[in-house]
Amino acid sequence: MSEHNGNLEQVYYDDEIVKKFIMATLVFAGIAFLAGLLAALQMAFHPFNTNLEWLTFGRLRPLHTNAAIFAFAGNAIFAGIYHSTQRLLKTRLFSDTLSNIHFWGWQLIILAAAITLPLGYSQGKEYAELEWPIDIAITLIWVVFAVNFFGTLARRREKHLYVALWFYIATIVTVAVLHIVNALSIPVSLFKSYPVYAGIQDAMVQWWYGHNAVAFFLTTPFLGLMYYYMPKAANRPVYSYRLSIIHFWALVFIYIWAGPHHLLYTSLPEWAQTLGVVFSLMLWAPSWGGMINGLLTLRGAWHLLRTDPVIKFFAAAVTFYGMSTFEGPLLSIKSVSALAHYTDWIIGHVHGGALGWNGFLTFGMIYFLVPRLWKTELYSIKLATTHFWIGFMGIIGYYLSMVTAGITQGLMWRAIDAQGKLVYPDFVETVNQIVPLYWVRAFSGLLFIIGFFLMCYNLYKTIRSAPARSEPQPTEVKNTRWVVAAGHETPHRSLEGMATVFTVLALVAILVGSVIEIYPTLNMHKYVPRDAAIEPLTPLELAGRDLYLREGCYVCHSQQIRPLVAEVLRYGDPSTIAESMYDRPFQWGSKRTGPDLARVGNKYPDLWHFRHMLDPRSVVQQSLMPAYPWMLQKKTDFVGLRKRVTVLKNLGVPYTEEHLANADVMAEKQAAEIGKALVAQGAPEGVENKEIVAMIAYLQSLGQKRKANRTTQVGKAE
Amino acid sequence: MADNKDDKYLMDHNYDGIQEYDNPLPAWWLITFFGTIIFGFHYWIHYEFGGGQTLADELKGDLAIVKSLNPSTDNPDKEETLAALVSSDTAKTLGKEVYGAKCAVCHGPELQGLIGPNLVDEYWIQGKGKLVDIAVVVRKGVLDKGMPNWDNQLKEEEIQSVTAYIYASRGNKPANPKAPQGEKVVE
Repeated sequence: MSEHNGNLEQVYYDDEIVKKFIMATLVFAGIAFLAGLLAALQMAFHPFNTNLEWLTFGRLRPLHTNAAIFAFAGNAIFAGIYHSTQRLLKTRLFSDTLSNIHFWGWQLIILAAAITLPLGYSQGKEYAELEWPIDIAITLIWVVFAVNFFGTLARRREKHLYVALWFYIATIVTVAVLHIVNALSIPVSLFKSYPVYAGIQDAMVQWWYGHNAVAFFLTTPFLGLMYYYMPKAANRPVYSYRLSIIHFWALVFIYIWAGPHHLLYTSLPEWAQTLGVVFSLMLWAPSWGGMINGLLTLRGAWHLLRTDPVIKFFAAAVTFYGMSTFEGPLLSIKSVSALAHYTDWIIGHVHGGALGWNGFLTFGMIYFLVPRLWKTELYSIKLATTHFWIGFMGIIGYYLSMVTAGITQGLMWRAIDAQGKLVYPDFVETVNQIVPLYWVRAFSGLLFIIGFFLMCYNLYKTIRSAPARSEPQPTEVKNTRWVVAAGHETPHRSLEGMATVFTVLALVAILVGSVIEIYPTLNMHKYVPRDAAIEPLTPLELAGRDLYLREGCYVCHSQQIRPLVAEVLRYGDPSTIAESMYDRPFQWGSKRTGPDLARVGNKYPDLWHFRHMLDPRSVVQQSLMPAYPWMLQKKTDFVGLRKRVTVLKNLGVPYTEEHLANADVMAEKQAAEIGKALVAQGAPEGVENKEIVAMIAYLQSLGQKRKANRTTQVGKAE
Repeated sequence: MADNKDDKYLMDHNYDGIQEYDNPLPAWWLITFFGTIIFGFHYWIHYEFGGGQTLADELKGDLAIVKSLNPSTDNPDKEETLAALVSSDTAKTLGKEVYGAKCAVCHGPELQGLIGPNLVDEYWIQGKGKLVDIAVVVRKGVLDKGMPNWDNQLKEEEIQSVTAYIYASRGNKPANPKAPQGEKVVE
């Protein structure tokens, strides 16, 4: 592949794989954005849920998030990493075969996600909804990526690793750890499994994963890309090498600890919450180190901001990164979290990061790469500039509308009048207040999408104008792999020459916080008093819970009452550790578009739920909730319950021999009772074997599982 | 190179043409970095060892305040006070509004009964259909039958007005009345 020419060698870079990943990025960006737009419209106007089960919000939202993170951002990362790594290491990728397995494997995973998520095959874990066979496929393809990347490192012709590569290494190692630890589950059938973690364990692991998916899938790889493409595009040296070193190590060490800030005021043990707050605050400066190094690299090239759309996108992306990473620590302060958690402020926060940082950095990178890879000029700089401004307005509109919505609703939830009563006891009133802002958000999202399609058109014209494909041309590189340092090297400089040691150190850096936070939580159930024990769900209620997961109810409803006075007035006693101890996965949720459900059991009659599931507006006039008419058509899978109960029993849920042997019979019996009661209240006959009855059984069980003879009573409200 | 003041920091390596300065760390950045670490350490010590308020303590204090705002009277509902509202149009208008928003979904827009029982016939499940009986059910609910307690949701005035409205609607003849439940009460 390369010939010797003194110490000059010729390298053929593999740009075809980069082109493929760019194309995939564009295709899945379109899908992710359009799914997001439809979801936004559903929140503004419920008929957009279309009464089709595959497109209701609860199933669409996981599709949107998975497509945005793993399909759009994922493909963009792979394109950028494969393109820049070859050049930074002066070598072709380790294996063309592995590159192609990586590419096609990843696209098949996305295809599998795009089919299974709308069908309702979901683990019910945020950002990790995909069922176990797909999780295994992700692991395998990630290993292929890792082998290909580290193989390339091993064959490098450059002794020292540039800072972009440090971030790539941290990404590959950490994502592997996060994905495998979080995905551990026991299969029940081909598309159904239960996680090995329950309750607070699952909460801790899930948000350690969820938070660090943001850190190591949406932050570190993109910082790496920034470190390559920003100085390239600006043709300026990076601002500060020593800042790179300190902010890199601080970032990877500190980021991993910050997960519990997603669980402030929950029943997660307080020491973990406190660590979450502390490490989130400490994350502020290391994050801003990246922003400074990005923006100040433009010193001496600010004029490009006026003329070069690539620089415009990069500068805006880094600025949005700075905004988000300031807002993140702010939201992690307990009193701010008390207001913002479960509201649209968080949605605004993530989209500032996703659209501004990940989106704009990717767009800038693609505008930079396409003309170079296809050896031509960009079709229209003017169109790219228009894209920038439309997209920019879209992000600002999105962000401001959601922050306003979040703060408005948060304040309404907590408003208490002079008599000590809630000012807005009716949840739906607080939702209606922000519906106009949902329209603003949908419109802003539309602007962002219009900008994106302008880019697609621009790229299409650019590629059309490209010269016919020619033979790949070699690049001449100087092999400096084995050059001995002339003078004294700093210790870190030496470390940059030792890829393996570097990788191991990065792994250790992320493992410290992970182990310290997760390990004690794994034993936490020992601290639950035995007499506070909780009855497990009946088999029928379990069937209902699995429907709750299938329909993605957790994307709009929490099951976690925080120890805040307004929450106790609205929903009842704060949730306890014991109450979710058998929940696999935990369903505390992260957003309340509808009210909390932790104690909704026995609050309304069965018929209320029956009518509410079929047509929410028939009982709550102004409700935004989708209708679930198919639950009246589909039959409950009674037979499958025995296996489900057995798997849960093996995981430690105290089901009896009777449950194992007769789960289906017990479920049918309970369903018949509920069916009879429904008929007595005026529902049609013959619903007892339908899913809606299982769903009602589950909803009525929420908050009702504390054993009657318990001796420890936790904070009774009256 | 436009600004020469950085050039003294230019390092002698380059990667694919990318060079690096070794600019010193900005002072404000260092202050933020170490400031948050020092603050974080103190914060942690305070909450873990320094007797910082636990979430449960915090809630206890806040609940006490709310309770003091709402001095509970054992029986705020008096037949006479409520009777006065029955003849007040303002009260009944408010009561009708509250009924439409909260009660109609279960008891029917014409009080004919739907999920919950008929409210215009002579049969009562809870109490004997007196104003106080109705007010108590509105306030405390009948939780095991699915009637929620409204005392946290409705204001005092709303509870009393809706009671008056329901009482005043007795004897109405809705189109599809739900079959009687409970015991017949003859006055």
